[in-house]
Amino acid sequence: MLKIKKTKLNEFIDFLNRDYSVYAPVEHGKKTTFKKIETALEIDHSAYNTSKSAKEVFFPQAEVMFKYSKEGLKVPERNEKPFAIWAIRNCDAKSLKMLDSVFGDARQHPGKDYFKDPYWKQKYDNCLVFNLACNEPLSTCFCHWFDGNPFDKTGSDVFVVETADHYIMEDISDKGKKFIDSYDKAEKADDNDVKVIDELKATAESYLGDKIDTKPLFDKLKKIWDEPVWDEVSAKCINCGACTFVCPTCHCFDVDDEGKDGKGSRIRLWDSCMFQLFTKEASGHNPRGVAVQRVRQRIMHKYNYFRDNYQVDLCTGCGRCVSVCPVNLDIREVIKKVLEY
Amino acid sequence: MINELRSQVKKLLEDKTVDIVIGYGKGSLPNTATPIFITKPEDADQLIFDNTCRNNLTVYLTKDRKKLKKDYKKIGIVSKGCDARSVVLYTVENQIKREQAHIIGVPCNGVFEKKKIQTITEGKEVIDIKVEGDEVTLKGRAFEKKVPLKEVLSDSCIYCRYPDAKEYDTFIGEPRVEVEVAEEFKVVTDFEDKTAEERWKYIEEEYSKCIRCYACRNVCPSCYCNECFVDQNDPQWIGKTPEVTDSVIFHLIRNLHIAGRCVDCGSCVTACPVDLDLRIMNKKVEKEVKERFNYTAGLDINEKPAMVSFCENEKQDFIM
Repeated sequence: MLKIKKTKLNEFIDFLNRDYSVYAPVEHGKKTTFKKIETALEIDHSAYNTSKSAKEVFFPQAEVMFKYSKEGLKVPERNEKPFAIWAIRNCDAKSLKMLDSVFGDARQHPGKDYFKDPYWKQKYDNCLVFNLACNEPLSTCFCHWFDGNPFDKTGSDVFVVETADHYIMEDISDKGKKFIDSYDKAEKADDNDVKVIDELKATAESYLGDKIDTKPLFDKLKKIWDEPVWDEVSAKCINCGACTFVCPTCHCFDVDDEGKDGKGSRIRLWDSCMFQLFTKEASGHNPRGVAVQRVRQRIMHKYNYFRDNYQVDLCTGCGRCVSVCPVNLDIREVIKKVLEY
Repeated sequence: MINELRSQVKKLLEDKTVDIVIGYGKGSLPNTATPIFITKPEDADQLIFDNTCRNNLTVYLTKDRKKLKKDYKKIGIVSKGCDARSVVLYTVENQIKREQAHIIGVPCNGVFEKKKIQTITEGKEVIDIKVEGDEVTLKGRAFEKKVPLKEVLSDSCIYCRYPDAKEYDTFIGEPRVEVEVAEEFKVVTDFEDKTAEERWKYIEEEYSKCIRCYACRNVCPSCYCNECFVDQNDPQWIGKTPEVTDSVIFHLIRNLHIAGRCVDCGSCVTACPVDLDLRIMNKKVEKEVKERFNYTAGLDINEKPAMVSFCENEKQDFIM
């Protein structure tokens, strides 16, 4: 374990910037999102968590897949350095792993070669993840419902804890170790630092609300697909896409062509199961034409279908959907209602 | 007040004046209310009404929720002044029959604007809010701050001339008629005073944040098209990416669609997950309609909406 003084963060970020494109929380019009930075001065340290998740760094809201013209297709070349992402919370670090199982295909099926998404892989595969421990979880946080906690290290290359005047760094992966070892300006962390981390962890955990056992959710959802509980659950949903767009794990997308006069771009962009258009067919028929079906889809995908395919729930409990929902449709209440039903 | 609201709602449900009441209940987060639907008289005790009740509940009468109107003949709606104006809007626009909605007016002192509170606490989470007269105490884990109530209320409320329902079936207490408001359109006139370049720069900067989640549209009582133009793809009117040009088109067209129809309830502003300043343009259009046609949405149930009526002496310079 190493540590660097908070006042020396700029040196560290400069060093990181040599071999990596560094992304970090940056203020953008009163909100904080992950953006590419050149110096540590641009980092917004005040945010508990970014308002949009880190998925947009690797899976942007709109991404040009290729440009076309009468001469043919052209895939945009990527000359950028590998990505490093600084101060990502554990809920987001974990979500990247989940998205990697979809886009990078982590499924191991002998004899079957699933499609691996090049746009995702070129950004995520060599990325260095600095996971900043969450010293002060919010009332919307519920990572502990899904095998997480504010000091969880899953999905990180380097685990970082912010203390009063230091960043203490622990290497988790080989990639992380190699990088940390190459930085010679850090001090060694001592036993006292370990003690401080333990204290911070205990405080952070004490901020979390009640814990619910979400293990039975999977089987329960299987049984209640056409039960009236969904009417009750979805009654107040107004079907905007705010929850899905701020969610670190929602990854449904649409592919759209934008162009005219024989040339243009094919673009992949975020879509939302909350929208009518998401499932509307060319005939005009919509298999998920009413709100209740769309709310059910979101819950089923998160806690049932995804587990079926990848053995993990598609939710890290970051709480963003809870805090942005205009009608306070709290996904935790939905989980409770489903479990009690 | 709250006891009277609960007993009135209980009575309305018991004597079958209404079949369902849409009101506010306690939300899952500190200082948050959430819409609730009550059909049993005994559930009326779940109702609350205070400065956290920000939603315009009339959205549940249109759009995806049209079924509610079919399932229940008579719907009670707990309404602030702006919500009641939406019912009037729906009536004059033939979206509902006036007798289908039972407006339960409640005295409104304005609703909290979460974003203003966050600015005051510098992003720190507020766990408890206490209102005492004109003063508010914001409490967090390690801080306590006292501020004037006005500083944490939504702009729509600060400049609201009709806090209490003018059109109602039941009112809890005594409704105030019109409240004097100084410089109602200040936000617009300040904006108009800027140069065209400054205005455009502001609009571009603001709307570049838009993530096109359409929360503003979906919480808006006046936005109830069966199919929004952004959802049409044959022909496709607008690009789907969050490119600022497309986002600006979405917002400006929405502004024009709600011209003379916006009741300034502020729902879009509170709903926006990326804090866009949506009010300036809405208010600008409201001001424009008021000056040209002397019309304000949702005030008079017998008056034809500005956009469907015509007078010979109206300003017609826009026709060229």
